[in-house]
Amino acid sequence: MKRITVFLVVLVVLLGAASWAYAVKLVVVGDAGHNLKPFDWYAQQFKEKFDVELEVIGVPFGELYEKEKMELIGQTGAYDVMIVYPKFLAEFAANGWLYPLDEFIAQLDPKMDDVTPGYRDFYCKYGGKIYALPYDGDILNLYYRKDLLENEEEKANFKAKYGYDLKVPETWEEFLDVAAFFTRKKGEKLAGQVLERDFYGTAYYGQKDQIFAWWGNIFASLGGVYFNEETMEPAINSEAGIKALEMMKTMHQYCPQDVLAYGYEELKDIFLEGDCFMVIQWPCVGKKGADPAQSKIVGKIGVSHVPGVRREDGTIYYRPLMPCGRVLAISAESRDPWKAYQVIRYLSVETSLDDVSTAETGLDPYRYSHFAHPEAYEMFTNVEDARIYLAGVQKNMEKGYPEMVLPGTVEYEETLGVEISRALSGEKTPKQALDDAAKMWSEILNRLGKENQKKMYQELVSGWRAAGLWE
Amino acid sequence: MKKRNVVALFFVLPVIIILLAISIFPLIYSFYLSLCQWDIGTGAARTFVGARNYLRLFTDSRLWNAMRNTGLELLFGVGTQFLLGLSLALLLNRVFRGRSLVVTLFLLPMMISPVVVGCIWKIIYHYQYGPLNFLLEKIRLSPVNWLGSSSTSIYSIILADIWEWTPFVMITLLAGLQAIPDELYEAAKVDGATRVSTFLWIVLPLLRPVIIIAVLIRVMDAFKIFDLVVLLTMGGPGQSSETIAFYNYLTGFKYFSMGYASSMTYFQLAIIVIIANIFLKSWKGREMA
Repeated sequence: MKRITVFLVVLVVLLGAASWAYAVKLVVVGDAGHNLKPFDWYAQQFKEKFDVELEVIGVPFGELYEKEKMELIGQTGAYDVMIVYPKFLAEFAANGWLYPLDEFIAQLDPKMDDVTPGYRDFYCKYGGKIYALPYDGDILNLYYRKDLLENEEEKANFKAKYGYDLKVPETWEEFLDVAAFFTRKKGEKLAGQVLERDFYGTAYYGQKDQIFAWWGNIFASLGGVYFNEETMEPAINSEAGIKALEMMKTMHQYCPQDVLAYGYEELKDIFLEGDCFMVIQWPCVGKKGADPAQSKIVGKIGVSHVPGVRREDGTIYYRPLMPCGRVLAISAESRDPWKAYQVIRYLSVETSLDDVSTAETGLDPYRYSHFAHPEAYEMFTNVEDARIYLAGVQKNMEKGYPEMVLPGTVEYEETLGVEISRALSGEKTPKQALDDAAKMWSEILNRLGKENQKKMYQELVSGWRAAGLWE
Repeated sequence: MKKRNVVALFFVLPVIIILLAISIFPLIYSFYLSLCQWDIGTGAARTFVGARNYLRLFTDSRLWNAMRNTGLELLFGVGTQFLLGLSLALLLNRVFRGRSLVVTLFLLPMMISPVVVGCIWKIIYHYQYGPLNFLLEKIRLSPVNWLGSSSTSIYSIILADIWEWTPFVMITLLAGLQAIPDELYEAAKVDGATRVSTFLWIVLPLLRPVIIIAVLIRVMDAFKIFDLVVLLTMGGPGQSSETIAFYNYLTGFKYFSMGYASSMTYFQLAIIVIIANIFLKSWKGREMA
């Protein structure tokens, strides 16, 4: 008996010592691919600095939400650190699935003052508490071929046709003119060269999960809002919505025929392959466009704000959407929230400049310090190009239009996306499509609880106003 | 209870427990869910709504659009797979040099992971850079908007599905053909039967049970077609290539409307059970005759 007791005591001591010897293991989940790379790059540092080992799980971009939500609903504790798309933060936080970070922030500063207001307040907060740290600052920008814009022959032809100088389009009308002008067939000439395949004026994200954002750029600049704040009547079928969709339908003529099947990759490729004059895209495309391994138009890309609407005082009102984005959050069921916080803070503060300034990730700048260091963006052939890129992104960021973040956002956005696609493919008129979308939004609203949604929407809007993102 | 029965029960008990846990309980629970409204994550509680979800099925135009697309897949997809599979099986049911190699090559599409099949076809169908449109242009035909048009997208999915699953029908029918005794062919030859009449009156009747099983399996699979839809079109443009399985996934795991998604699942189950019964009755009817 005595021997057995001694054996058990020794066993317990050994097991205890073994568990001390091993670092804490935390599970990270995020969208698979280039945006998870930093977790691997700094694995050794996490171990040395915080005694943490990470198991990184990548899931497809479009499936991250449901993978995370299913584990959170079941309170399985499967994940410690989560890459979350900000539009789901409100839902996750409101259900108590995320760990509030305020107590940790008081102990270890994540330098939130360095984060630009849109990303700091819109991406990371819910109900007055901070639930996440920023990781990827997404906003839509206008990318164009500056070499073609500066071509003397093209400039002369444009002026002869439209009666004004060829320049970066600032309004949607100019955007349509420029897109129409540069749409050429195989065999025609472009900047003196005979085209070997068709060349397109523009293209857009056509798949139904994100198409709302490309329509939304026009809609927002025309003064559109998601809902009437007081009545919660859907406002997507307003005059602004219909006009935006009509403009998009005109734009559709200058796009590749299969543009309605375009996701991020296809939209990036058509531009970086040199087959399209301009696209509206996320900031990472500017970095990838400067990388010879990924782009055939290195040094030929210009960046500007997305077009807008000229107001009576002559100013241009532009509102690029802020779809997607990524923040780092900690599950309420995490086995070690403090260590998880140290990891996400390290990525959001210490390594963030390196991570957003490389073409190896899709991460985009979100801190003032990211914009203050153009020399870090080494994929650009010179610092001036990097400066132009950052200035273009920053210009958009100041006017960002928030993506809706209500519970049910996926259903709202996708039903709208389906109807936008149906209008663009000619199945419905823009008005019919948006009226149908508005009807479906009302049904979703009622099904999910109108009063609750109204309360949340009003809270969101007041938050956006406080951040200067809403009029 | 006899001791022997107790021992037998003891041995099958683990299986019964596992079946109850992973099959019977989810079946009963999901049926209960189909009678509730439960939108997870919205803060609203789960409420019993009776048959409301089932009634909603009949007024949901998106569901009927998905049913139509699934029907097209059954009709053109499975139909073509059967015709091509049978033709290939008849061709390969003869002795020639290198037959094993040819059969193996034909089976390759079926051996590839469905995700890879989707990725391959996405490249093949690319309007601007895809090899299919390149070949069409070489023979002076206009390129086709395979994935970006609401009139072609579902057929593009069906074509990829035919490529992937025809080998399954082929190999199943080939096995059936090889089980037919040579004596029957010889007897028919002695009786002066032509090749057509041998096929119609000997091969087809004897192959019938195998055909029924092969087609039934493909019909059930086609009803669940999901991976190609996700990889090629995500159901788009609009909802032009959404299938019932894809729409069910959206409802359950994107919108998290668990009650409605469960009712949709039972609706699908009912249809599959009806189809399976028709097939199996046809088989049994033939056996009785």
